[in-house]
Amino acid sequence: MKHRLFHLHGLVRPFHHVGSETLIAILIALFLVVTPTGAKRFQERSLYVLKNEPSAITSHTTSFQYMSPDAVGSVEMLYCLDPIPYHPCVTPPGLDVSGATLSGQSGETGFSIRSASTNRIVLTRLPAFISGTGNSSYTFDNIRNPTVTSEAFAIRLKSHASTNASGPQIDFGSVRGQISKSIEIATQVPPMLIFCLAEEVADNCESTNENYYAELGELNPRSTLKTQSQMAIGTNASGGFAITANGGPPSAGTNTIAASKTPTASQPGRNQFGINLVENTSPAVGSDPEGVWTNAVPSPDYNATNKYKYVPGDVVAFSPNVSLMKKFTVSYIINSDPNLRPGVYTTTIVYVASGQF
Amino acid sequence: MNITKTIFVGAVVAIAGTLFAMPVEPASAASSASLSIVPKKNYTVEPGKSVKDTLVIRNLDADKELELQLNVVDFTFTDDGGTPKLLLDEDAPQTTWSLKPFLTVPKSVVIPPSTSKTLDMSVEIPVNQGAGSFYSAIVYSSGSPDGGNVGLSASGVTLAFVNVPGDVREDLQVEKFGAYNQSSRKYLYLTPNEPLAVAYTLKNAGNVVEAPVGSITISDLFGNKRNISNINPNESLALIGQTRTFTSCIELEKEKVNFNGEETESSACGVPGLWPGFYSLKLDAFYGQNGNRTQEIAAKSWFIYMPVWFIILLVVVAVAIWYYTRKLIRKFKGASRTRQAKKSSRRRR
Repeated sequence: MKHRLFHLHGLVRPFHHVGSETLIAILIALFLVVTPTGAKRFQERSLYVLKNEPSAITSHTTSFQYMSPDAVGSVEMLYCLDPIPYHPCVTPPGLDVSGATLSGQSGETGFSIRSASTNRIVLTRLPAFISGTGNSSYTFDNIRNPTVTSEAFAIRLKSHASTNASGPQIDFGSVRGQISKSIEIATQVPPMLIFCLAEEVADNCESTNENYYAELGELNPRSTLKTQSQMAIGTNASGGFAITANGGPPSAGTNTIAASKTPTASQPGRNQFGINLVENTSPAVGSDPEGVWTNAVPSPDYNATNKYKYVPGDVVAFSPNVSLMKKFTVSYIINSDPNLRPGVYTTTIVYVASGQF
Repeated sequence: MNITKTIFVGAVVAIAGTLFAMPVEPASAASSASLSIVPKKNYTVEPGKSVKDTLVIRNLDADKELELQLNVVDFTFTDDGGTPKLLLDEDAPQTTWSLKPFLTVPKSVVIPPSTSKTLDMSVEIPVNQGAGSFYSAIVYSSGSPDGGNVGLSASGVTLAFVNVPGDVREDLQVEKFGAYNQSSRKYLYLTPNEPLAVAYTLKNAGNVVEAPVGSITISDLFGNKRNISNINPNESLALIGQTRTFTSCIELEKEKVNFNGEETESSACGVPGLWPGFYSLKLDAFYGQNGNRTQEIAAKSWFIYMPVWFIILLVVVAVAIWYYTRKLIRKFKGASRTRQAKKSSRRRR
């Protein structure tokens, strides 16, 4: 056995270095010439919708940059709500590209429409290698825009070597588009924000007691002045609402009763102005929010029983999305220091209700 | 000297007492403070063109007329949420994204009880205006009361956004991504409570407001996947310069509700029914204005859902395994000893 191995070694020895050099050369050649061409993403992708309104018959220009140098025979353009290529494709409601015509092309040209259905266009040409590195763009006329303005849509792009968008893909990628609301639409129920404010208000804002101020009486270092007001709010806007409280704390001329910058208990004998939006026992004032809708809530700093705060501009109540009518009772307290300078201390709190962006 | 001092102190106390007790003039009859407005307006206006639109305001009060002053103010963001920070100060400098120069609205309006009024408004963009987003707020103020220690005033706001098309600078960067607690507004990585939502925080360094779209995939250790196909269901916006957190429910529950006589759709996060364990998250988001490059955002994250009951269950199972294994070993050892004892007794015999 040992003898045979020695014999074999003697036979192949002259070819040892040749074999290793050849092997390395073959590997380098394979690496350089037969580099595997995985699918790449189209770059500089964009979509321009000429008339960007719901249901408009218009033209769409799709631009992108081919990244693989391979021969391309077809390009598929698939309109879906979701841009992710491996997710199921849901056609944007109202969209129709079945009557599309190719009215312009630049960059990689020579394409014509092979087929077009409701949400799919296949461009075809004789397979040809990608000639340049710039952008290519394709303009299609006679496309009906989607009707949905609340949701973006995408065109999933794929290039193929075949002329019918079959077989392995070469490059891929998605472009995003969104239809803007047309201001002429009058049939839709527009988002509404309903807001009312007074000492007492009805849940639906249809009535108030029409009192928009409170007399608190005489400031006394040994007791807390208190009062309350109500506000009701609701919106069908998907972004919800926010109410901010604005205006300075009570003041008389240049003298001001300082407001609590953090939630603080009532402290008779010290200058203090504060509000909250819940029922309190010290002092007994206010009540908890009324209404079944749970997503409309006081802000955390104004939601603690017997803790009062006031920072102008703070959001005192909000809802992150649609909210039916909800009524908030705002409690106010004023404490005074024995050394507080005499005067009539007044303030106007401006409650600003807005939608969220 | 003492008498003079006493008189002086007495006078001061008397004046102070009088001032404290001074009755405040009763307020004049104020207008209604019950209004219904449109919270948001969006327009796309090309340079050199204008749009005309209307603002519908309703006085909900059945008895009093509604007197409103209209004012356009700029706004920015409060935090990473969608609450506008209105720059109400008259001296506030105009923002670079201000719509004030382009927006025309009436200065005031009086609306009879239980009726609506439609006001004309317009947006006119100059020919030389560059592309980008412009926004301001139309504030409807009901006026201030004339008296009282604490007066109340109600204001409503319409946020107006205008997009001027063209080549814009778009730049969104991911800052955070993961499971999210909407109440505490914190990201969750190891949580005993089942996460109801996922969120991603994006920094907008461009010159346009952005509303990303795309999907989030949630995968467990066994390869089971859940897909959130609409990652911006409220069409929320990242304002210029804002770091905005966008939240999406893992399980979105929709409900038809009646709002002010109209049917509307409300959505909320339902319980997703996740099993305890490790989850990986993948974000694929897209953004880009009409005619501009579509850009992608990709991010990965994870969270571990480990409820207390599951930890207790694990401990119980571990204790049970330990107990029965020990018992089994003892039994085995006992049987082995018995066999050895029998063998040795046989040998002795």
